Amino acid sequence: MSETYDFLFKFLVIGNAGTGKSCLLHQFIEKRFKDESNHTIGVEFGSKIISVVNKMVKLQIWDTAGQERFRSVTRSYYRGAAGALLVYDITSRETYNALTTWLSDARMLASQNIVIILCGNKKDLEADREVTFLEASRFAQENELMFLETSALTGENVEEAFIQCARKILNKIDSGELDPERMGSGIQYGDAALRQLRSPRRGQPQGSQDCSC
Amino acid sequence: MAFFQRATDYPCQLILDPQNDYETLRRRVEQTTLKAQTVNRNRSGVTNVSSPGKSLNLYPSNEYEVLPNGSEAHWEVVERILFIYAKLNPGIAYVQGMNEIVGPIYYTFATDPNDEWKEHAEADTFFCFTNLMSENRDNFIKSLDDSQCGITFKMESVYSMLKDRDMELYLKLQEQNIKPQYFTFRWLTLLLSQEFLLPDVIRIWDSLFSDQDRFHFLILVCCAMLILIRDQLLAGDFTINMRLLQDYPITDVHTILAKAKELQDHS
Repeated sequence: MSETYDFLFKFLVIGNAGTGKSCLLHQFIEKRFKDESNHTIGVEFGSKIISVVNKMVKLQIWDTAGQERFRSVTRSYYRGAAGALLVYDITSRETYNALTTWLSDARMLASQNIVIILCGNKKDLEADREVTFLEASRFAQENELMFLETSALTGENVEEAFIQCARKILNKIDSGELDPERMGSGIQYGDAALRQLRSPRRGQPQGSQDCSC
Repeated sequence: MAFFQRATDYPCQLILDPQNDYETLRRRVEQTTLKAQTVNRNRSGVTNVSSPGKSLNLYPSNEYEVLPNGSEAHWEVVERILFIYAKLNPGIAYVQGMNEIVGPIYYTFATDPNDEWKEHAEADTFFCFTNLMSENRDNFIKSLDDSQCGITFKMESVYSMLKDRDMELYLKLQEQNIKPQYFTFRWLTLLLSQEFLLPDVIRIWDSLFSDQDRFHFLILVCCAMLILIRDQLLAGDFTINMRLLQDYPITDVHTILAKAKELQDHS
């Protein structure tokens, strides 16, 4: 299988234990719900190539352990992440209350410019809901996060979450807000892009497509 | 594993006997959930519904279905062992992954061909688990992570041993920026119990526990695991290699143990 892609983005999946981080990753990669799942110890790793606005983007996804004990170890995985899924469980207020800590960790340890999408997971368990959509979307707005409610069980909005986050990063690259060549940006050029990029006119990557240097 | 969902022949009679008024862990868990729900509702005032069925549906996949009164599943016995360990050792309490350590020990006792051994599986497991944890618990304590006895040091020592034994492979992993934290954390804290099938885990643990310096031997085993797949690792890119290390390809543990022994003899 050839692996041609334009960009590689490092992504994190973070949030409290039991919110469904590993199941989201599994649903995204395998398109199935993972019924037999272990606690994540340390980190698990997955990757997938997706197509976003005419670009092939390889996501390198780091699924971290949520339990407090692992916090100091999981922090070592944050460095240089371009995007993150910040996950809470809509049926557990406790996981929602912890978001602020996760958020400051991500911004401090990954990068200031990290693009984060808030995911209220377990959307299928409507009857047990403890966090309303409105409340969470206000939180997202205040903290400049994108927001979706997802279900790793049914697959609803799972792919969308990853794609929206990747699209936002691409937009930021296009607008010049993110510089892939900066150390620790969490972004690398793929083989397909290497040949065409390195355009001197940053901010107009569309025009740089034909540049041959 | 199906084994842990089956009923044990030796449930804790003291608790199950209706004559005694002990609160079972089952009931305790249910009540805690209910209480937490009430508190949440008071504080925030925004929660819409609390489903009456929720507390009974702690494990929605039915993976851990509660057996009828009077019987106990093996997982409930294991849960009690961990619960009591956590209560007796509040400084460590319960950390995810301890279940993976207690599991193989309990399985070994509870499937012993001798009924007398089987009968005392719970107590024996508790004793052995506590003993093992007394040597291993530093791995589970966050504040020790960066100390000499903590997990970070052990993870680094897998790489320093690799550097001595296979410089080329060591440099390759360094070059790809594959840090030992990315895979040896799970290997070491769980004593490899998530990397292999249960019978193979028990075989590896036999060698580990019979070695006087068992945690050093564990590092040798990790190093052997790396060297045995060196050709694949040298050919792979970051993604391929991370996958190999997170989903270890060799299933024949004898090869791994033989390699570890060889490394030990040549040190």
